[in-house]
Amino acid sequence: MSEKIKIGFYALTSCYGCQLQFAMMDEILQLLDKADIECWFMVERNSDEDKEVDIAFIEGSVSTQEEVELVRKIRENSKIVIAVGSCAIHGGVQSWDKDKGLSELWKTVYGDAHVKFEPKMAEPLEKYIKVDYKLYGCPPEKKDFLYALGALLVGSWPEDIDYPVCVECRIRGNPCILIEKGEPCLGPVTVAGCDARCPAFNVACIGCRGAVGYDVAWFDALALEFKKKGLTKEEILERMKIFNAHNPKLEEMVNKVFEEGE
Amino acid sequence: MYIPITVDHIARVEGKGGVEIVVGDEGVKEVKLNIIEGPRFFEAITIGKKLEEALAVYPRICSFCSAAHKLTALEAAEKAVGFTPRPEIQDLRDLLYIGDMIESHALHLYLLVLPDYLGYSNPLAMVDKYKKEIEYAMALKNIGSKIMDYLGSRAIHQENAILGGFGKLPTKAQFEEMKRELKEALPLAEYTVELFSKLEQYEEVNDDEIVHMAVKPRNDVYGIYGDYIKVSDGFEFPVEEYKKHIVEKVVEHSFAKHSFYKGKPFMVGALSRIVNNADLLYGKAKELYNQYKDLFRYNNCFANNFAQALELVYFVERAIDIIEEALAKWPIKERDEVEIRDGFGVSITEAPRGLVVYALEVKDGRVSYADIITPTAMNLAIMERHVRMMAEKHWQDDPERLKLLAEMTTRAYDPCISCSVHVVRI
Repeated sequence: MSEKIKIGFYALTSCYGCQLQFAMMDEILQLLDKADIECWFMVERNSDEDKEVDIAFIEGSVSTQEEVELVRKIRENSKIVIAVGSCAIHGGVQSWDKDKGLSELWKTVYGDAHVKFEPKMAEPLEKYIKVDYKLYGCPPEKKDFLYALGALLVGSWPEDIDYPVCVECRIRGNPCILIEKGEPCLGPVTVAGCDARCPAFNVACIGCRGAVGYDVAWFDALALEFKKKGLTKEEILERMKIFNAHNPKLEEMVNKVFEEGE
Repeated sequence: MYIPITVDHIARVEGKGGVEIVVGDEGVKEVKLNIIEGPRFFEAITIGKKLEEALAVYPRICSFCSAAHKLTALEAAEKAVGFTPRPEIQDLRDLLYIGDMIESHALHLYLLVLPDYLGYSNPLAMVDKYKKEIEYAMALKNIGSKIMDYLGSRAIHQENAILGGFGKLPTKAQFEEMKRELKEALPLAEYTVELFSKLEQYEEVNDDEIVHMAVKPRNDVYGIYGDYIKVSDGFEFPVEEYKKHIVEKVVEHSFAKHSFYKGKPFMVGALSRIVNNADLLYGKAKELYNQYKDLFRYNNCFANNFAQALELVYFVERAIDIIEEALAKWPIKERDEVEIRDGFGVSITEAPRGLVVYALEVKDGRVSYADIITPTAMNLAIMERHVRMMAEKHWQDDPERLKLLAEMTTRAYDPCISCSVHVVRI
């Protein structure tokens, strides 16, 4: 690419961790020769959300009516839209209790108070716009950013990872938290790419990279395993919903395990 | 005629907020900090959930201080179930917390604050002329991140801090590596103090009525944990009584509430820690404190930047000490079993930007009550007052300059807007 690539980093409702991860990469200094930053409020005072860009990185869930309009505008102004992180891709942890409904959650926290913005239940970007690529994670790994940007800068296209965290756990030689320790590890259904970060610390995976795509996330097989270990359907759903609350397959597959067993 | 001067989206801060100043022929009419992030209902979504899962979710309130959220929530949870970690585990939690302090302060000072003083709109544009400063920023940030990687599993949203201790501790070689890099980072931290000692001559907001709140450090160790809160007017109260002394009120232009002590705004953060606890500093940090005593102006929020610079030196030295103590006690058992009983616990710690409150009640292994107050929520009222004071001083200046000065005033507080809005309970 002879001309500089134009990039924008936009935030919806989130913890700002995805852009922090991006901003904190030493490699970002090398990117500067190849890119113009048109919008990135976390680092640039002269940011403009209305400018056209080649690549738009968007983090955060759509959680206000203003954000619905913002993502539509970004989509119109961008050649490639990349959803960054669990909030943008899956609605984020703020979707964990979405079944309660917005009004009940609002009442618990805000009471009868009124604010001048219109709140919404946290939703993934894809509910409103077409997303071209996804960087999974809460937050994504630095190498996820490097791989995607590297591929795009040479005019290629990054590929999705289609295998679960378990694969990386086996490669690292970690003991299996699910089978050997009996803890509710979500590694078997979660997109790999983190190098089995948490299991390597003896901590069960909570699924922050979301379910493996291409409909190969076997929620039912894992739910059956959890059920054998004595977890109730509610406990299984609660754990899987921390990061998968918007997954359309989840309830159907977990329900199946409990219906068949009864 | 009154003219509104608006910054829709304050740049180079964490989260989405704006400033609105209305100026007329006779001066400043109105000043508002608008907090415009969407709600995330953290307290509501974790109520009724398993304690361990809630503890994995709380840090996601904010990325800039995820370790602070994780460790404060953990302490509140352990108090609730009646568990006290072993001293060596507590020391290593301090070390993890310090990793967050170092990274957050380095990021704030060099990448968010410094561009204003040097006349840049973003830190990346400074690379050509201020290569050394950017390199120092990255090196300091990297050692903070490494501590969080090794002890917390990663720099953002650490999972390796769990009830009873850690899932796995770093190896002896990793501790040695951290110690070596911290020693290399110490001169960079000292340079940061020199650098900001010059910049602090820049702007003033002189608020003689200001009150500072910070923890009274446990075991007289300057820093993060404490069982009492110390106020600069001489008053002290146990953390369990926070609701009596930190009173929150609703303001209509913000998703986040404002906080008051004895009916007035108060300040928390690095400057408040120095004002209340400077006598506990030691080593190089103490020397530098004595050398620059006059620059820690308790009544000027801009001195918060300088206080963060001094804390970089303190926390780097403190981290080295903790590692040396840990190596002397080697090997350390990573975790004790915790029996999850019913109970209620309050923890208030010093996050990079000031006091953070977690009050958790546990019933049948699940969270049955959660109250969280973040530093930025506490600082909002006084931030707004100081933006007003700045505007009153400069209302006749060029609007673009007034905008910059108003933004700089908010940036001096190192606000974490996501933090403040996502946990408001009205």
